[in-house]
Amino acid sequence: MKRTRLHQMFALSALCGAMLLHSVGVQAVTDEEILDDANTTHQIVSNGLGLAGQRYSPLATVNVDTVQQLRPVWALSFGGEKQRGQESQPMIKDGVMYVTASYSRVFAMDARTGKELWQYDARLPDGIMPCCDVINRGVALYGDLVIVGTLDAKLVALNKDTGKVVWRKTVADYKAGYSITAAPIVVKGKLITGVSGGEFGIVGKVEAYNPVNGDLIWTRPTVEGHMGYVWKDGKKIESGISGGEAGKTWPGDLWKTGGAAPWLGGSYDAETDSLLFGTSNPSPWNSHMRPGDNLFSSSRLALNPDDGSIKWHFQTTPHDGWDYDGVNELVSFSYEENGKTVKAAATADRNGYFYVLDRSNGKFIRGFPFADKITWAKGLDKDGRPIYDESNRPGAPGEGKQGSSVFVAPAFLGAKNWMPMAYSQDTGLFYVPVNEWGMDIWNEGVTYKKGAAYLGAGFTIRPLNEDYIGVLKAIDPKTGKEVWRYKNYAPLWGGVLATKGNLVFTGNPEGFLMAFDAKTGKKLYEFQTGSGVLGSPVTWEMDGEQYISVVSGWGGAVPLWGGEVAKRVKDYNQGGMVWTFKLPKEHTL
Amino acid sequence: MNTRIIYALALTLTSCWAHAVEGDPQPSVMWEYFHQRLLDNADFVFDEAVKVSVPPFAEDARQVPIEVDARALPGKVERVMIWAELNPIPQVLTLYPSAELEKFLAVRIRVEQATPIRAALLMDDGIWHVGSARVEAAGGGCSAPSVVRAQEGWEDHLGEIFGARFKAGDNSRLRLSVSHPMDNGLVDSIPEFYVNQAELRDRSGAVLARIDLFSAVSENPTLTLGIKGHPETQLWLRDNNGNEFTADIP
Repeated sequence: MKRTRLHQMFALSALCGAMLLHSVGVQAVTDEEILDDANTTHQIVSNGLGLAGQRYSPLATVNVDTVQQLRPVWALSFGGEKQRGQESQPMIKDGVMYVTASYSRVFAMDARTGKELWQYDARLPDGIMPCCDVINRGVALYGDLVIVGTLDAKLVALNKDTGKVVWRKTVADYKAGYSITAAPIVVKGKLITGVSGGEFGIVGKVEAYNPVNGDLIWTRPTVEGHMGYVWKDGKKIESGISGGEAGKTWPGDLWKTGGAAPWLGGSYDAETDSLLFGTSNPSPWNSHMRPGDNLFSSSRLALNPDDGSIKWHFQTTPHDGWDYDGVNELVSFSYEENGKTVKAAATADRNGYFYVLDRSNGKFIRGFPFADKITWAKGLDKDGRPIYDESNRPGAPGEGKQGSSVFVAPAFLGAKNWMPMAYSQDTGLFYVPVNEWGMDIWNEGVTYKKGAAYLGAGFTIRPLNEDYIGVLKAIDPKTGKEVWRYKNYAPLWGGVLATKGNLVFTGNPEGFLMAFDAKTGKKLYEFQTGSGVLGSPVTWEMDGEQYISVVSGWGGAVPLWGGEVAKRVKDYNQGGMVWTFKLPKEHTL
Repeated sequence: MNTRIIYALALTLTSCWAHAVEGDPQPSVMWEYFHQRLLDNADFVFDEAVKVSVPPFAEDARQVPIEVDARALPGKVERVMIWAELNPIPQVLTLYPSAELEKFLAVRIRVEQATPIRAALLMDDGIWHVGSARVEAAGGGCSAPSVVRAQEGWEDHLGEIFGARFKAGDNSRLRLSVSHPMDNGLVDSIPEFYVNQAELRDRSGAVLARIDLFSAVSENPTLTLGIKGHPETQLWLRDNNGNEFTADIP
């Protein structure tokens, strides 16, 4: 047996051996930091810039006088062929940006330079069933973890320094039509997520997990008749049927495939200790198959974060027949009236009405149209329930035939869709991305089949105006008055940000990041990002300077479902990027 | 360019990437590089007691069988590292064996071009004992898309483990095959997706061997381990997406 002489090593070459590891001194994210996110400017550790979801920043270095000087400092591509459909909100912690991209990907980058630190690509099965593009809306940060929901309905926790998987849990069966696109949130040490799938006859649910190891803590179905559970010491314990019992607001066994997916996630109001989640359309779309209010579809729910029990609900579209999901964000805010502070929450619903609720009990305070044309209802009654125009409910299909078609506004994609509005604490106004469109809709027969679309309806969407669909509106929640509007040719599909600099930021499918005077609506700045902006802009402070970031990348639901509208946007090009801006130093007044 | 910079650069390169080292049975310009990167510049010998067997030519560059037989080597093994020196992803696996393992293992790997294959065993004397072989190849094994993922319904079979224990005298051979595409990220638009952790456990759950796997391992990885006696075992696997798989091997 031959062996070479021993090669003994006496000296290490420092020059060659130096593998400099990137170290940024990252601290763990705590519950306190998440709760205080709305008041802190040096980081963004919650979806909505604060759990209440106001999307308001107290930063004012970039303001109406300086915003014209805003310059891009870096951009990072999401790469490859997966450019389309970027709807994420970046998070910032200790100089690192965490942002998701389409196809359930997560990127971490140096927030100063845009240098990529790591990337996580979920391997998705071929059979995923996202109804409305392969998008993702962002991560949750907790401890050393970056947590994302995936299109195959899983939660994945990544190490924030390496991007390596720490744990991964199946939330629901993607083969039954479940998926996750919303950013999970962390409240009181619990990771809260909803699910998507309202087009596939799934049963919506909100669930809480232990963010450290992914153990399930509670599950709360959002369809009447389904049992909720809590887990104590590894034991699964019944915690009450949602709505008390089955069959109160649903006929037969349709509640078993009732939809009501809380697909946009939710917010948290610390003052009332409530998770505020919205739910989608009931399944199927054909409302004649399911007479009744169909709770808790098209509703806003206040859940107890400790056990998931439902404290109150407010249903915006009982017995929905137009795909008016009730998922849109319910934003907590307070205002003074008659010398009293009103603890309110506001939402701009798919159905065209803006609702102001009492967030302590869900009672209706007021509601008013925020879309120019609403035909499915004649108005709201004193409790906020719609007064239907029954002639504008699509007709029941006859034996094997298509029911009568009606033209209705707003369209099923909603007077406002997922894109979050912002609330300015300075002006007291909500800045709402609105779309003015209608649809022809008719019903068809349908039976439930696992993993197949469960609609029972056909539809095509049409613009109401030749020169615009999108309208950014400044709305006074106390009066319902529209203070200003900005018309946009293409439908708006991006989130909004308000700042103390008297500014409102949003993007459009044409590719511009835009800034408006919050009081007058005058457009003060725009920058072409190269592809449609569907993401939610954020702002934070780093090294004494104010930064603004937004993702760009056309896609989402409009080009997939958009009928006549899709023609209007067919020439918008794809591209997936994160853009980051700041003022040149000499312009910071 | 400034000549002094060139000189400095050349000096750096020569000091980092020295030429083939004395006594190397498979002389390679990459030896010093891996000696630093993987073996941390530690003491080593090229040792014929570490027998590395490969086919003389890789008929299928995506499935090249490698066998490491060091049963002739006395002493306790702390760690085993296998790498393909000229691969874009050189590392194949790192094995942390218990005393219950024989000094024998086999695995199938991808090779991108003709390359030396190394198996280095860190023994309890603190010295790496290195065995070498060379496989000739037409190439391309690392940059071809996996066959698995082109098959419909691949996700239904993901992580299926086929395996059996065979008696070999007083000891056993475990032969295991796992359904997994083992995507290495080098194929356009297909991100990394591969099994990167494995543990062989006995029936009580005690770990007999821990293995870190890299994406140089072939798709549907095939692994052979030698264990002492005839124990029933369990294999646990985890991929870089966090999927976990287990299988009992009676």
